[in-house]
Amino acid sequence: MQLATPKLCALACSGLALSITGLIAQQPSQFATPVRLMAGETFLGVDRLYPSPMLHDMNGDGLADIVVGDLRGRITVALRQPGDGPARYAAETKLMALDGKELDFANW
Amino acid sequence: MSPQFVDFNADGHLDIVAGIFDGSPHVAFGDGKGWQQPVGILDKDGARIVMNDFWNFDTKKWDATTRCDPAGAAVVTGHLTSTWAADWDGDGDFDLLLGDHKGGQVMVRINEGSNAQPSFATKNVPVLAGGKPMVVPGTVTTLRLVDWNGDGVQDLLVGSMGDSYGNRTGGGVFVYLNEGSDAAPKFDAATTLIEPSAKGAAAPARPDSGLYMDVGDVDGDGDLDLIVGGYAIWTPPAPALDAAQQVRVAELQKELADLNAVMQDFYKSIEEATKGLDEAAATAKRAELLKERNQVFQEMSKKRAAVQRELEPLTPGQKRKSFTWLYENLGKGAVDASARR
Repeated sequence: MQLATPKLCALACSGLALSITGLIAQQPSQFATPVRLMAGETFLGVDRLYPSPMLHDMNGDGLADIVVGDLRGRITVALRQPGDGPARYAAETKLMALDGKELDFANW
Repeated sequence: MSPQFVDFNADGHLDIVAGIFDGSPHVAFGDGKGWQQPVGILDKDGARIVMNDFWNFDTKKWDATTRCDPAGAAVVTGHLTSTWAADWDGDGDFDLLLGDHKGGQVMVRINEGSNAQPSFATKNVPVLAGGKPMVVPGTVTTLRLVDWNGDGVQDLLVGSMGDSYGNRTGGGVFVYLNEGSDAAPKFDAATTLIEPSAKGAAAPARPDSGLYMDVGDVDGDGDLDLIVGGYAIWTPPAPALDAAQQVRVAELQKELADLNAVMQDFYKSIEEATKGLDEAAATAKRAELLKERNQVFQEMSKKRAAVQRELEPLTPGQKRKSFTWLYENLGKGAVDASARR
């Protein structure tokens, strides 16, 4: 990411490339074509109801793992595997609570 | 439900804070070894923190209130489903940013106490963009405060839902750059980071709806990438059909339409049979009729599934599946990725 770019662009472009809605300033794409992340042998978060990923080091190895919440209120963890090259993640495991049951945010 | 790891009660251990679909924020307290089951985060009067719509646990129905509306009322009806704990007003404790998946508002609930003894206000305060209450196009999925542009102050990143099932515009990701300070944020128009999806792809190409993003330097090149959960919506190209296949497609489509018509008639008959009954009687009658027809229903469902299975490869329909995507940032800048709070 060109870190200064978004703000500069938002300002510099404000009178030039305006917006689809009048509220949203446009800026050139700065991301590579998105790729689907894998967790073990399957896609990360596949078939979950509205998967919501969060980067967090769950096992204290200094690598950011991916924690995925969903609409049902359940959480899984995909541990980042050490090594060079593209990020690799282990298969997702359920996040359990101290009571031995699956941590469950859904109570409705 | 977007989890945030944060030491919410200042006991030295990370807790998990999340807004969920019941319309309120919750926290799972941690002790360093694990987490307890979540509890609701309440305001200083012991009431639930909500926007407007919420699941009422007493009546076991969806409900709505204006109890928490900001002075002058909310600009649209809101349903809180996301939360981000952050010190919004610079007084050293966690306030709660609240995201609205129904109307697109972003509000804040100020903590008038401390982290150890929180005392959340009873009203929501709208977050402003350009001096007006912020309304995110496509409505809010999740929120993050992170120094996106490396200027030393926290910006607001927002994911949007978009049209979740149909062909209308899907979700995107936006950043509201903070032109003020951490203690007194000031936002103008959003900048688009991921364009709201126009859909129409022939294969899963991107998250098209329900974009839940997080931010971090995934590839270790010193800039901030996005990981984004969401639904890809695509329609595989239809194969060229020979004459026999075309005939078969017509037969299957007719069979499906007939089955659908029978189902519709059945639902209509239930509606008729329960007309004028009070709620309890209507529920009982509905259950009775469904039980009576259960076997017929099962058989019809099986037939329907078989027809759809045969039809699908001949006339592929729209597909919708959730994945998690990496948007690798191609810039060359550097930023303190630990600046997230």
